[in-house]
Amino acid sequence: MFPNSHLPGGHTDQVAQRRARCSDIYQRRLSSRSEKVNPGIHSSSHQQQDGEAAMHGAHMDSSVRYTPYAISPYNRKGSFRKQDQTHVNMEREQKPPERRMEGNMPDGTLGSWFKITVPFGIKYNEKWLLNLIRNECSVPFIPVEFHYENMHASFFVENASIAYALKNVSGKIWDEDNEKISIFVNPAGIPHFAQKELKSEKVEKIKLAMNQQCDVSQEALDIQRLPFYPDMMTRDTKMASNPGKCMAASLHVHEENIPMVMSAVGMDKWKGTEPGGKCADRSPVCTTFSDNSSNINSILELFPKLLCLDGQQSPRPTLCGTEAHKTLPTCKGSFFGSEMLKNLVLQFLQQYYLIYDSGDRQGLLSAYHDEACFSLSIPFNPEDSAPSSLCKYFKDSRNIKILKDPYLKGELLRHTKRDIVDSLSALPKTQHDLSSFLVDMWCQTEWMLCFSVNGVFKEVEGQSQGSVLAFTRTFIATPGSSSSLCIVNDKLFVWDTSHQGTQSALFTLVPTAFSSVPAFSQEQQKMVQVFSVQSGMNYQLSQK
Amino acid sequence: MDKRRRALTRLYLDKATLIWNGNVVSGLDALNNFFDTLPSSEFQVNMLDCQPVHEQATQSQTTVLVVTSGTVKFDGNKQHYFNQNFLLTAQSTPNNTVWKIASDCFRFQDWSSG
Repeated sequence: MFPNSHLPGGHTDQVAQRRARCSDIYQRRLSSRSEKVNPGIHSSSHQQQDGEAAMHGAHMDSSVRYTPYAISPYNRKGSFRKQDQTHVNMEREQKPPERRMEGNMPDGTLGSWFKITVPFGIKYNEKWLLNLIRNECSVPFIPVEFHYENMHASFFVENASIAYALKNVSGKIWDEDNEKISIFVNPAGIPHFAQKELKSEKVEKIKLAMNQQCDVSQEALDIQRLPFYPDMMTRDTKMASNPGKCMAASLHVHEENIPMVMSAVGMDKWKGTEPGGKCADRSPVCTTFSDNSSNINSILELFPKLLCLDGQQSPRPTLCGTEAHKTLPTCKGSFFGSEMLKNLVLQFLQQYYLIYDSGDRQGLLSAYHDEACFSLSIPFNPEDSAPSSLCKYFKDSRNIKILKDPYLKGELLRHTKRDIVDSLSALPKTQHDLSSFLVDMWCQTEWMLCFSVNGVFKEVEGQSQGSVLAFTRTFIATPGSSSSLCIVNDKLFVWDTSHQGTQSALFTLVPTAFSSVPAFSQEQQKMVQVFSVQSGMNYQLSQK
Repeated sequence: MDKRRRALTRLYLDKATLIWNGNVVSGLDALNNFFDTLPSSEFQVNMLDCQPVHEQATQSQTTVLVVTSGTVKFDGNKQHYFNQNFLLTAQSTPNNTVWKIASDCFRFQDWSSG
């Protein structure tokens, strides 16, 4: 578990090693930011051990997009120092892949490549790290093109089962600070050092072939070009449910899906799993493949759909990055925490906005704590030159990112309920669309509720009459009398979606809600009456 | 969030909660996992405001409401406008005061179309 056993000597050596690592990190940082790595002869000692380790590095484009912790560009000078190995200078010019990896595979064919990344691996010495991984990894592996990229350490391996085994090491190794080391695995397009020279028209031919259900024999497909993953990727993300089909159709694998698929399905099941349909009528391509190396076979088995060009639905080729993308979680609607809280909050909001929109906001006095706070903001957009309906809110807007005057800062934070209600009364008259409301109940304790309301409202008078604005209003409230809420903090943020160029989907609700003069229903009137009796709030119903 | 994502959860209380576009994430472990799964981000804050939270709500635990807004670009996704609210609570030691996030609420402004 701990790397101690792999280091020569005792404790003092480890301390010295650690110090050396720290200065190494600084060195690596300086050099790792260069995006064009041309390491030449690969430097890993393990490569050398394996004899023909001269992976003649073509210019490898390490400007991949998997940089979750991107740091600002450092000085790009300096060579890519690696231990005691020799390497060519790191050059930043944009070279097409010129060098080939000849002799790398026994039969000159290409395997399936995976990029192995250790987050924050810049902390670790290459040899130390690889040793550590080796000791835990169930299969031997040859790390290719070990390098530091931003804060991480990466290398390539050429085999899906090795990649899988390496993924299993994630979280099972620790550094000397007793922190777990993770390992991320992503399928990679053929790294430049491994690519044979491709002419663009050949690439186009491959795309054409994959895109159409054409007779293979008519296409001058070069079999050895076929594992050119970037052209065959789709964005099909339904990995978990249909791994075989999806692996074939989509090599654009989400990072977290690899372990999910591998653990759920198992490597063995991948091979030969063709849930989408069999490649029964094997094209000449497929047949020819099976005559080649075992690596090509494994590609065929793992990605059979790629090679079935005879009537099977080909995946639509789209260019994707060589790194898997993490996806954003699905956006969901309101969150209340409980049915009871939901009812409480919705009732509160209904009552609050009934009065807020009624034309007389003085009725809100009882809704606020004596020492409540209120402030409002509008977005600061320096490009906004045209007057917008937000301008009426401008003078009250408190944005401490740009507001530096301490006096104003204090003034714009309304304190005491009298101040607050006066200030609210001065704001434009509104009509809120309750059906547009979305509520996030994001903190609740015994003593308070904290929730944010998102929605839209319409201006009902003045120059911007009819314009629709969006808002987020955050309330912090304590239990009030008669099971109502007492507001202690109120923060209103108003913005105009039209200047963003995007219309919120909420707007679709607006025309219907505001199409007629709102008449308070009998139920609403009753509710307001009940509320006013309970809370002692005075109100005036005004029809608009 | 943008540059040292792994260090982000140090800003949160152990039992802090985040509601991210309606998804509830509770506790440090879950927060760690969650931030791990988010793509790399580039935030631009355009608006910032804060208010002291009344002690009646916090039982004298000094707390500040922070509200912020701006744009964010997550890798692989289009740019979004966002709103984010925090409750920051003061953890005092004899030597200094550390502010930690007790609660966090994040939403895209166009969450329903994103």
